[in-house]
Amino acid sequence: MGASGSGKTSMRSMIFSNNPASLTSRLGATIDVEQNHVRFLGDLILNLWDCGGQDAFMDSYLTTQRPTIFSHVGVMIYVFDVETREMNKDLEYYRDCLEGLTQFSKEANVFLLVHKMDLVREGERAIVFQRKVAELEKASGETAVKVYGTSIFDESLYKAWSSIVNTLIPNARNLSKHLRIFAEACSATEVVLFERTTFLVIATSSPADSSESFSSDPVAVHALDPKRYERTSELIKSFKQSCSRLREEFNSLELELAEFTAVLDEMTKNTYVLVVVHNPVIETAAIKMNIQMARRKFEELQGDSLVS
Amino acid sequence: MMSSSSQSYVNAAKHGQNISVQRTKILLLGTRRSGKTSIQQVLFHHLPAKQTFYLEPTMRVAKHEFDTVIPLEIWDCPGNITVDSLGASLADFATIIFVIDIRDLYQQPVSKLVEFIVAACQVNPDINFEVFVHKAEKLQEDDKIENFRQIHERVVDRLADESPEYEQVPLNFHLTSVYDHSLQEAFSRVLHKLIDSLPYLEDLLNVFCLNTSSPKAFLFDTASKLYLATDSSPVDQATHNLCCDYLQMLTSFGPLYKSNAEGDIRAHLFSPTPTPPPTATPSPPSFSTSPSSTLKACVQSPPHTPSNLPLDARNAKPLFYPSAATSLSPSHPGTTLSYHLVTPHLALLALLPTTIYDMRRGLVEWNVVWFREGVREIWEVEKERSNAEGV
Ligand SMILES: Nc1nc2c(ncn2[C@@H]2O[C@H](COP(=O)(O)OP(=O)(O)O)[C@@H](O)[C@H]2O)c(=O)[nH]1
Ligand SMILES: Nc1nc2c(ncn2[C@@H]2O[C@H](COP(=O)(O)OP(=O)(O)O)[C@@H](O)[C@H]2O)c(=O)[nH]1
Ligand SMILES: [Mg+2]
Repeated sequence: MGASGSGKTSMRSMIFSNNPASLTSRLGATIDVEQNHVRFLGDLILNLWDCGGQDAFMDSYLTTQRPTIFSHVGVMIYVFDVETREMNKDLEYYRDCLEGLTQFSKEANVFLLVHKMDLVREGERAIVFQRKVAELEKASGETAVKVYGTSIFDESLYKAWSSIVNTLIPNARNLSKHLRIFAEACSATEVVLFERTTFLVIATSSPADSSESFSSDPVAVHALDPKRYERTSELIKSFKQSCSRLREEFNSLELELAEFTAVLDEMTKNTYVLVVVHNPVIETAAIKMNIQMARRKFEELQGDSLVS
Repeated sequence: MMSSSSQSYVNAAKHGQNISVQRTKILLLGTRRSGKTSIQQVLFHHLPAKQTFYLEPTMRVAKHEFDTVIPLEIWDCPGNITVDSLGASLADFATIIFVIDIRDLYQQPVSKLVEFIVAACQVNPDINFEVFVHKAEKLQEDDKIENFRQIHERVVDRLADESPEYEQVPLNFHLTSVYDHSLQEAFSRVLHKLIDSLPYLEDLLNVFCLNTSSPKAFLFDTASKLYLATDSSPVDQATHNLCCDYLQMLTSFGPLYKSNAEGDIRAHLFSPTPTPPPTATPSPPSFSTSPSSTLKACVQSPPHTPSNLPLDARNAKPLFYPSAATSLSPSHPGTTLSYHLVTPHLALLALLPTTIYDMRRGLVEWNVVWFREGVREIWEVEKERSNAEGV
């Protein structure tokens, strides 16, 4: 949810269909409620309620349709334009939505996106964002919220959305555990699992938060770039777009770079796996073979978790 | 490396030291805000296109050095520069690039261009004229073509007015934009006219394509994403774009999972200084013999497996050259886009049938080795030449 023009439609088309950033200005401002059934991981369905926020409309909508909108919500995402001149009005609507949510879907996770961060000068971004976070946390009262700064022009969008969809994947921890076993079998530093169409990160072999990590954790040893997951999503997504412009479809990638060896290949019918190895002795052919052997196990794991 | 400021250049020149290299000079001209500095920064300093918005106006001539197969020096000028205020003779330049904003249909840029063409022809009949009709992405397709045509026509008309003799001056027009790869494509074509060894590089690429059934192969400069040469099949813009995007992805991928561990074992593996080719193997192509004939003879020898490539067969630790491949479908039998670094800054990018890449990897690797040796030989000769000229 969010005011008209805050960027919801652009964001959704970036994440859920192959729509390059330069095309979004051609989408008309949303004036109706858009309900999008987005297939994710094959069996999981995300409903995106894209409320227009044309003021009169939004007013009546929020009061009369309250139960319809706020029942059975798993996640609420509220988008704020960082440059909005009507922050107070935005916050008013936001509080209203939050109230509806606590009334009809108590368990829902709340994500707040401070969007179009690219419009803020680079040097001021951190300060502006901190100020917004404080403001939004205050407006949220008791409710725990996660706030992300986003822009459709960089990887921040993927970081926010990966963490959003992660709350929807019931067995992320179990997947993580098996990825860790798989990583060890490949002598890999890290293994990352992506959803096939969005290339959002579903799970990684690394412990979820740094407090769990220990000194022998390979990722900790190599001190890898903390932004690597969302940057990878962004890079692969944009390369997939380049391929589709040639009416080709991206299939797989193998790298033997100066920095590392890696294979990115299909794992299950709706996931891709990235195996990153720093040990120079390991060859891509061996990694590919390991992926092939792990496929069935991961199909099973995924089947178990999502049929519910 | 390539960002030596005009200041330090002037100092070095004064002392007459370290200027042992003869650089090929390119003059970048155009009215104020036509996009000259943006072009220079996007190509050679990795400036993201969107950030060109924040560039400061150029107040005086800035000289930028860039090293690729041939060493270049690009002069970025303020909009109000004239033949007299340039501070150098037009005879010193190999190429003039004139940048015109595609929406700028006024007389001023054309007059300025004509003024430089007339002056340059007087002192330097061999100079190349390249016109970048720039910011092309701003216009819809029809307007783009129409404005391009109008600008072209005006320049030709004004030159003819000047004197009929200028009708013969060859001018090359390009549609460019920093927001897509049209800039890289145009600048690559500018560069090709300046590389003396181009026919040899093209021969190497033709042989590579022939031997590996590759429909298209490029030799790219990895830092600038300019291609220095390609095989003789025509360049299709979509394929060129894909290769640029691929290169972009690979160079961005590297640092993401780079180990920051102390004493990472990989760090010692890649030797950025090329070692001389091994003497035990047949001599790679050189300028005295036609590269293609030598190469053909080599690849006709029985196929080798990658493990006994001539490269470092005698060394315990093989020299490591980064490479990558991505397979694409659903075209049949499927295409693999391969990447092989051949010198620290040059890479071979080739489209290969996936069947060849998967089933005959040895053949591909073998041809890469010969290609690499050929390029290195040419590189050495070019280096000697520019050093010799510079002394
Ligand atoms: N600068 C910037 N503009 C954006 C961003 N996201 C969306 N926009 C622009 O904001 C405008 C409104 O976006 P839209 O998705 O239609 O908003 P909606 O009404 O919330 O669906 C469009 O012109 C988009 O191009 C962003 O991250 N940065
Ligand atoms: N739309 C568009 N703008 C460009 C392009 N290249 C440069 N610009 C913009 O043109 C303006 C002037 O650029 P600059 O490089 O300083 O021009 P110079 O005075 O010729 O050096 C800047 O705001 C750039 O962002 C392009 O290809 N497309
Ligand atoms: Mg300038």
